[in-house]
Amino acid sequence: MKRWWRRLRSRSVEEPGVQDEIAFHLEQRAQLNRQAGLSEDQALASARRQFGNVTRISEDVRRMHVNTFFESLLQDLRYAARGLARSPIFALTAIFAAALGIGSTTAVFSVVDRILFRSLPYANEDRLVSVGMLAPLDTNEFFFAENYFDLRRHQTPFESVTSFTALTTGQAGCDLSEVNPIRLACAQVEASFLPTLGITPLLGRNFTVEEDRRNAARVALMSYGLWQSRFARDPATVGRVFSVDGAPVTIVGILPADFELPTMAVPDLVFPEALNEATEHAGRALRVFARLKPGVSIVQARAALQPLFEHALETAPPRFRKEISFRIRSLRDRQVQDARVAAWVLLASVVAVLLIACANIANLLLARSINRRKEIAVRAALGAGRARLIRQTLTESVLLSACGGALGCALAWALLRVFIALAPNGIPHLEQASIDTRVLFFVLAVSLLSALIFGLAPAFQRSGSESLIGARSTSSHRMLLREALVALEIAVSLVLLTGAGMLLRSLVKLQSSSLGLNTDHVVTAEFVLGRQRYSQPVRQFQFYEELERRMRDIPGISTLAISDSVPPFGATRSLPFASLRVEGQPPFTEGTGGMVTWRYVTPGYFQALGIPILAGRAFSENDRGPGDERIVLGESLARKLFPGGDAVGKRFQYLTSNMVLGVACDVKDAGPAEPPPLEFYVVRKYSEQGIFEHPGGPDGWRSGRVILRTPLDPRVISGWITREFAALDPQLPVNISTLEQRFSKLAQRPRFNAMLLATFAGMGVLLAAIGLYGVMAFLVGQRTPEIGIRMALGATPAAVARWILSRAALWTLAGALAGLAGSLFATSALRTLLFQVPQHDPWTLALAFPALLLIALAAAWIPSRKAARTDPSVALRHE
Amino acid sequence: MPATPDQLPNTLTLLILKTLARGPNHGFGIAVHIQDASQGLLNVEEGSLYPALHRLERDRLVSAEWKLTAHHRRARYYRLTPAGRKRLSQAEQHWTSLAKGVGKLLRFA
Repeated sequence: MKRWWRRLRSRSVEEPGVQDEIAFHLEQRAQLNRQAGLSEDQALASARRQFGNVTRISEDVRRMHVNTFFESLLQDLRYAARGLARSPIFALTAIFAAALGIGSTTAVFSVVDRILFRSLPYANEDRLVSVGMLAPLDTNEFFFAENYFDLRRHQTPFESVTSFTALTTGQAGCDLSEVNPIRLACAQVEASFLPTLGITPLLGRNFTVEEDRRNAARVALMSYGLWQSRFARDPATVGRVFSVDGAPVTIVGILPADFELPTMAVPDLVFPEALNEATEHAGRALRVFARLKPGVSIVQARAALQPLFEHALETAPPRFRKEISFRIRSLRDRQVQDARVAAWVLLASVVAVLLIACANIANLLLARSINRRKEIAVRAALGAGRARLIRQTLTESVLLSACGGALGCALAWALLRVFIALAPNGIPHLEQASIDTRVLFFVLAVSLLSALIFGLAPAFQRSGSESLIGARSTSSHRMLLREALVALEIAVSLVLLTGAGMLLRSLVKLQSSSLGLNTDHVVTAEFVLGRQRYSQPVRQFQFYEELERRMRDIPGISTLAISDSVPPFGATRSLPFASLRVEGQPPFTEGTGGMVTWRYVTPGYFQALGIPILAGRAFSENDRGPGDERIVLGESLARKLFPGGDAVGKRFQYLTSNMVLGVACDVKDAGPAEPPPLEFYVVRKYSEQGIFEHPGGPDGWRSGRVILRTPLDPRVISGWITREFAALDPQLPVNISTLEQRFSKLAQRPRFNAMLLATFAGMGVLLAAIGLYGVMAFLVGQRTPEIGIRMALGATPAAVARWILSRAALWTLAGALAGLAGSLFATSALRTLLFQVPQHDPWTLALAFPALLLIALAAAWIPSRKAARTDPSVALRHE
Repeated sequence: MPATPDQLPNTLTLLILKTLARGPNHGFGIAVHIQDASQGLLNVEEGSLYPALHRLERDRLVSAEWKLTAHHRRARYYRLTPAGRKRLSQAEQHWTSLAKGVGKLLRFA
């Protein structure tokens, strides 16, 4: 290495060199000549004569010394750069194609890698599993406390098991009631939680088994995020006592920065779960996670746990058993569940774009190499070795790939920023995605390889003399290869195009479909009353009463409602359908019948949210007095409870006798793509007793929502709302948002998917069009003499253009037909991402197919025009 | 090892190596020595010495360095390396056997 460097350097900092050596020689010889009696001039001339050609010799010597590899590499590079600069369109297209392929593949893979392949922040994560019963209540598995205790006692396939309390999001709200009250996300976990997952606190300690008991002094672990943002990473935070929900809590430890629950939620505070085996019977629903013993597979664990599951099933009400199954799956599977399809679709589409880009580069290089046959033949005839020629070709390919790669990196970086900005919250860990260097190198290698293969192929086939003659015989099969490549590009583009089309169509349907309510001009305020301060029902009731009075006084409010939840995803109170009983009818016996949710609302609810009443009437203020429970049913529930028709005025039993006042339009709570929930509404009464007649949700009755319909700017209103809340309870955190914001999140994920796929389809089609253009332009260029002859023999320009176009059409059609077959196959992967669009959507295909044909023919149009303008005399002279 | 005619050793290389076997010398000195020693029978084009010398240097059969001559002139002195010495003895053997073979053939004909 050192020697190389010295040699390289010795070329630039010429210490005494060959010139001096030769000068010395000449001088010495001249001196001898002078001594022999020659004159000064003669002596020198004779010395030169005897020496030979000084320039040639010093050049020979120099060549002997330079590091020939580097020297010729530089020469090749210079030559390649000059060559590319001479045909900038070729160079730019190839670089552009490479950059698109490299950039988009890297960016998307960086995202997908986080979802599908990232390592979880737990030790030996491959042995972690989620285990539980799967019931219609929930899409994820859970155990009731009682069954969990069984599992804990008989955990044979597991090294350890642990749990945390299952709530819809895996964490509940709690309030840090300090000077500036904030709402925190809190979770409750068992003392065995951190050890089972293999997590050690950053500072302090995990809580002990003793602290994980009911009535123990309250302790908690704090997240790194909260520690950093609110306590400036002060180590003294450990051991401090804070007031959470009005009760003192001691912080015993700080969690590591990458801590997250297995549900991927990141809680601010983690409390002991305080399970009590003695008192907790059916008990809470728990999320259960376990670490498999080394060498035990999920299948084995499942078999080992079967008896336990059978036993757990016996504790469930007999008629529900059919609907309950047992599930054990790896933590990773649990985490990626619904992001998985989208991630694979993205990955596949990106591979498709890469394929197109590679085909394009290959095509361009092939075209170029054919165009340069004569030049290369001349070089070969002048004595360039085959190895030297191959290296020259390769240098050019590599130079192209390197430029494409550099541009691709920039593109990948930009795309990743765009993805992160546009991505819905639901896509796990996207914000952590960064350009993955492994991916980058992989993609660079792929593009380099494709450049090498296609850069080399012509170099190997060529025999100099044949090319020099300009033999055209070999070009036809190479042309076939190029056209087949373009057909492939078109086929892949069509697959992308149909996929994107279907996602776009389903996005349009999603956004135009009725949700059953009117989201315009609605502002909501969320709050949860502090556990300590509002422990008495009377206090809660007073708060709500006062709140309602104050809100009514805010100017510019057209309708006001108070509820315990707001769509989307709001309903926190649910019960099995089977526990409702229509009076005068036998009880429903076939399983649970699915879950029914309900909301506890003031009369203004339907008007404020714009939910149409389909039959009967909505609540009125009169219904809030003492007396019968009055109920409004959702449409679907009404149909299910009263299949005969009119539900209004009928009664059903749930806790007490409820009278149906009216039927409201279904609200698509989980978004337009999901079936509407079975739902009913209970009116909030004026009496404080009314509050506690129904069992509470996770936050009891302390959780509340104010819903305001207003023509005013939400920002103005939100200021007023905040002020009124502060006047009522200055320590209560309130979260204000518009209903529109909340619902727009529902369409975020489909929008993200559709947008990404549409981008890829666009890139694919663009690249395919460039490819087709390239092939046709090349064809025209190569056939110029032939076209000249045809025209000289009487072909009209139109006929020539038709000839070129028909040739393009033939290959486009072949590619498109292959693409059609591919689409039918590929779009089945999209099935779960579609909404009201059939898997083989004829409309999308009917649009994508001609659209692609049109674009392809437009790309072929330009070269065909050029061909039509060929001047026969010029073309023939060219030959 | 019997020499094959198409493996005719590079005569100039042999001459240079042989000259340097007497001790380090510069290009001019080598040229003069070859002429003197062959008593004018071998007359190399002096310039062609240099590419040969530098090739030997690249192949590490000789090493070179700039030194002052007896008359205080800067000149590039070449010196045999151990590898060069080895190559010289090979080439000499090679040459002798080849010369012998060719000589016999010429006398026979």
